[in-house]
Amino acid sequence: MKALVFSDMDDHTIQLLSYFSGMMDTDCVTSGHKAAQIAEFCAGTVYSLKNQFFPDTISSVIADLHKKNAYDYLVIGSTAVGRDVAGILGEELGIDVASEITEFRIDGDSCVTKRFFYGGKTVIEESSKSRILTVMPGISEPKKSTKPGNVVEITGPDSRISLVNRENKSAGAVDLEKAGIIVSVGRGIGNKENIEKIRPLAEAVRGEIAGSRPICLDYHWLSEDRQVGLSGKKVKPKMYIALGISGQIQHIAGMRGSKVVVAINKDKSAPIFEEADYGIVGDIFQVVPKIVDLLKQ
Amino acid sequence: MPFNIIVLIKQIVDIDLLKTDPSTGSPQVNNLPMRLENLSKNAIEEAVRIREKHGGKIYGICFGTEKSTSAMKEAYAMGVDEGFVITGYQGNDPSRTAKVLAEKIRTIPHDIILMGNQSAESYTGILPGRISRILGEPLLSNGVKIELQDGKAKVTMAMESENVTAEAPCPVIISVTQEINEPRLPPVMQILQAGKKKINVESTTVQGRTDLKVLSNLAPKSERKKIIFEDPEKGIPEIVKAIKEAMK
Ligand SMILES: Cc1cc2nc3c(=O)[nH]c(=O)nc-3n(C[C@H](O)[C@H](O)[C@H](O)COP(=O)(O)OP(=O)(O)OC[C@H]3O[C@@H](n4cnc5c(N)ncnc54)[C@H](O)[C@@H]3O)c2cc1C
Ligand SMILES: Nc1ncnc2c1ncn2[C@@H]1O[C@H](COP(=O)(O)O)[C@@H](O)[C@H]1O
Repeated sequence: MKALVFSDMDDHTIQLLSYFSGMMDTDCVTSGHKAAQIAEFCAGTVYSLKNQFFPDTISSVIADLHKKNAYDYLVIGSTAVGRDVAGILGEELGIDVASEITEFRIDGDSCVTKRFFYGGKTVIEESSKSRILTVMPGISEPKKSTKPGNVVEITGPDSRISLVNRENKSAGAVDLEKAGIIVSVGRGIGNKENIEKIRPLAEAVRGEIAGSRPICLDYHWLSEDRQVGLSGKKVKPKMYIALGISGQIQHIAGMRGSKVVVAINKDKSAPIFEEADYGIVGDIFQVVPKIVDLLKQ
Repeated sequence: MPFNIIVLIKQIVDIDLLKTDPSTGSPQVNNLPMRLENLSKNAIEEAVRIREKHGGKIYGICFGTEKSTSAMKEAYAMGVDEGFVITGYQGNDPSRTAKVLAEKIRTIPHDIILMGNQSAESYTGILPGRISRILGEPLLSNGVKIELQDGKAKVTMAMESENVTAEAPCPVIISVTQEINEPRLPPVMQILQAGKKKINVESTTVQGRTDLKVLSNLAPKSERKKIIFEDPEKGIPEIVKAIKEAMK
């Protein structure tokens, strides 16, 4: 079997190649900057698109490669661009899409996939003849291919939309997926300045600071790459410490893989306690300093 | 210049109220109230803001069931002018939904189609691409800001690591994110008036896919210890012990 992999996020491309190379031969399309590095994870051909990153262009390139090489699966990283690419390809090629999957296996002439449903409250397992997949980040660890692939530069047709401006988000070098301990803050933190009050805890446990969606996206108290949840990062640290987070299901969907969960919330009935190993009903500004003191002893 | 806008409106069960059975994990969907899907609300809100600024008419299309007239009434209350409910929805099947919606869209002259980027309950996120390809209209997706001028739409699109601003001539499809606006809560008068307004109900003959089988749909098992301390003084030492263990 043969798959063509695409994501506009280089890390994600590498994860997808690592996961699917175990099951089938892989080629890859990349619109990122690291074609040579990606080739170390892809035994087949890496098609490198330069300065072209709109979904209509990318889907047209993938559709042409598919017509030439008859792939069994088109594996698309689930990102803003990736989802659009998958939708366009689905219509272009008349192929069904299994979207937002977190697991995949082949079963005869079908595939079995898993993904979240009902906003993250359930996991749905489906069997289908879908041949296009959109895959959530975090599906596997990077694993180099036994032999590196070759890089071929290609150009696609012009997009029908024209670029006006590109602006990098204030993404730092944070790698939440690799953090051993994550200290995560929610609206209970109150304001941006208060984040400094919990920083000593993050330092004492040598952890990374993350946040719920309102903290990262709506208020920008933390950068967007620190958002945990259904529409943010999916993290699996050894310990996840949730401070002033209510535990709405879209948040839980991002931290469910954590080994141990600690929650501090002043509301006894907050749903986060249903998803916690250890919980304290209390005010984070009183409890956190005491934890830090005791840790230092 | 006024804009004719089509908003795609999804109705979902109220997932915030959804409970899963503690022993079997199965979702208890029966008797749950239905409501407007979150991102559809953002799309409606954005349509209303565009009309307030530029003028024009807002059409709403919902592929749902007989029950979806209630969603359209909510949409009317928020400001949609004329609504179409297409019955026959049988569950999440984006290729079918895209065909049904596109068929209806083709009968309505429009400048802009507004929709959510990823619906809050099924979260598939591939409808915008599908509809763009069927209709042959350019797609500006994941919009956090929309500006309209001279028959063109300029949209700031939120990607994972950057914001990309791009433009395209109308007619254009714009998918919006949750951050683009705060949907209004309509005043009671508007809700009462909306209840009296006519809703067009139609049906579809488009068939769905037959290869898709749901093997299971259950809440993931939570094996958390759930040791909760209502007295922080007792809890703090336990938590410190657990933290030290995790730091090893
Ligand atoms: C499609 C979609 C996708 C989404 N994706 C995500 C996502 O990826 N990530 C995400 O996080 N959310 C996501 N959300 C939003 C989610 O539904 C919730 O709105 C959000 O998680 C709530 O954030 P919060 O817990 O910080 O805030 P709140 O729900 O407001 O909770 C604040 C908590 O702090 C507690 N508190 C207040 N003060 C104190 C104090 N001094 N000490 C202790 N506790 C205190 C309160 O009791 C409360 O429980 C998504 C929503 C939708 C519709
Ligand atoms: N059945 C439907 N009827 C009308 N609009 C829909 C329907 N399903 C999805 N949409 C629109 O498409 C957006 C994205 O949905 P989805 O692709 O299902 O995640 C939603 O926010 C709606 O605007």
